[in-house]
Amino acid sequence: MLRVIRPGLQSTLQGAPRTGYRHFAIPYAGPADPLSFALANRLVGNSLDATGLEITFGGFEAESEIACMIAVTGADGNLLINGAEAACHETLRVKAGDRIALTPPQAGSRTYLAIASGFEARMQFGSTSTYLPAGFGGLDGRALKAGDRLRAAGSPENLDVLRTPDELRPVLTRAFALRACASSESHLLDPAAREAMYETDFSVGRQATRMGLSLEGATLIPRSDGRMASAPVFPGTVQCPPSGVPIVLLCDAQTTGGYPRIASIARCDRHLLGQIRPGDRVRLIRRTPDHALRDYHDKQALLDRWLRSGP
Amino acid sequence: MSAGLTLTRMADDVFEVSVGSPRQAQALGRRLRGAGRAEDVVAGLDRVCVRFHPDRISEIETWLNAIQMDDLEEQVSAAIIEVGVKYGDEDGPDLDAICTTLSLSRDEFIALHTGGVHTVEMIGFTPGFSYISGLPGTVDIPRLNAPRARVPAGSVGISAAYTGIYALPGPGGWPLIGRTTEVLFDAESDTPFRLRPGQRVQFRAV
Repeated sequence: MLRVIRPGLQSTLQGAPRTGYRHFAIPYAGPADPLSFALANRLVGNSLDATGLEITFGGFEAESEIACMIAVTGADGNLLINGAEAACHETLRVKAGDRIALTPPQAGSRTYLAIASGFEARMQFGSTSTYLPAGFGGLDGRALKAGDRLRAAGSPENLDVLRTPDELRPVLTRAFALRACASSESHLLDPAAREAMYETDFSVGRQATRMGLSLEGATLIPRSDGRMASAPVFPGTVQCPPSGVPIVLLCDAQTTGGYPRIASIARCDRHLLGQIRPGDRVRLIRRTPDHALRDYHDKQALLDRWLRSGP
Repeated sequence: MSAGLTLTRMADDVFEVSVGSPRQAQALGRRLRGAGRAEDVVAGLDRVCVRFHPDRISEIETWLNAIQMDDLEEQVSAAIIEVGVKYGDEDGPDLDAICTTLSLSRDEFIALHTGGVHTVEMIGFTPGFSYISGLPGTVDIPRLNAPRARVPAGSVGISAAYTGIYALPGPGGWPLIGRTTEVLFDAESDTPFRLRPGQRVQFRAV
């Protein structure tokens, strides 16, 4: 049992994405950075999508009321246990009464805390993931508050201590290169704007949520009369409203939208979206869809040697 | 004309098919979803997107190329649900601008909106958001240039000739004409969605 002392800006329980309900307009939710999330679960012997904690911008503190095994991954902040610095990307044994705290990260925005056997959470529409706008899943469908008690589904105490291989630890800075493909309405941008999309150092706007983040720096005006028939969108879709400021959709992406879809972040790099914060620089790297899928297979092969070699 | 599907790539892991109408999109969506091969099948108003696992791209492409559009079943309900709407003022901050665009008085617009039977064509955007057809094609309202950061639950908007209802609070790009007091989505219920594609609806001013 983990008792929350300070929840930070926004902490939620997340598990598997809520797939298979998009035609009811129910978004996926799930961890904004599913790779860091999976790496945390791997270190405590869980299935890779066991329910864990997503913490935004650090500032989190909790007390463990039992002895348990945890692991912390994600944004580049300091993990403190009873005030002493502890290792991220490593299985940690925590005693009853230990205090776990996270400082605000220098880079990246979301930290993942996994506990052996996973946290208990409300299952709704096939997933425990918290979707805040509708109050699904997690702990009463809401962000955590001071005083909340998070129960682990079990409490194994004697796991092997594991460390994420160095070469698989995502390195986070304040700049991101994201591979991206054309999408269904890319042709509504004139050729100069289509080039600008891949040659601009975008700066991320102040609204950067689990739903989307805006890319400022080039004004990309699609030839659209604002009357496009609403079409499906997914995490990774880059929409462009007539204001010319593109919006990249994340894990809580709505299911359809009426703004031109001018690009799509490649599947292999979507996990990075969850670590981008306001003011970060973003560069889009052009890929054909087939090239992007080869990139996905390459990255996945590298990760699977570690992620799929678990118990 | 061939009745096969024409595939385009909406993302590296998403195929897209254009179709002729919202009801065709719903019918094709149901058919493809029923096959259980894709990660997700989502219908828009005039297209259907099929998201697939990268390992299965060849299989999915072959399967989609063999689908025929001829015998899709469109579904429309017989029953009509009444939906009360408070039009204008703070509930519908864009009503007056829309009336100006259409050269109608408020009362004339409300009479137009409550006058006929509408049909839910799609649930999309966020849980319970319904795209409802039934306004004449002469109504052709563009979306807002920049979406609002937060629109209250129950807000009723117009885009092109569709009426849309925001069942949840959240960002929104549709000009708003009013707000309904109906609860259209209830996560705790066994039947959480009050409106479904094919459901017929009559608006009533309250």
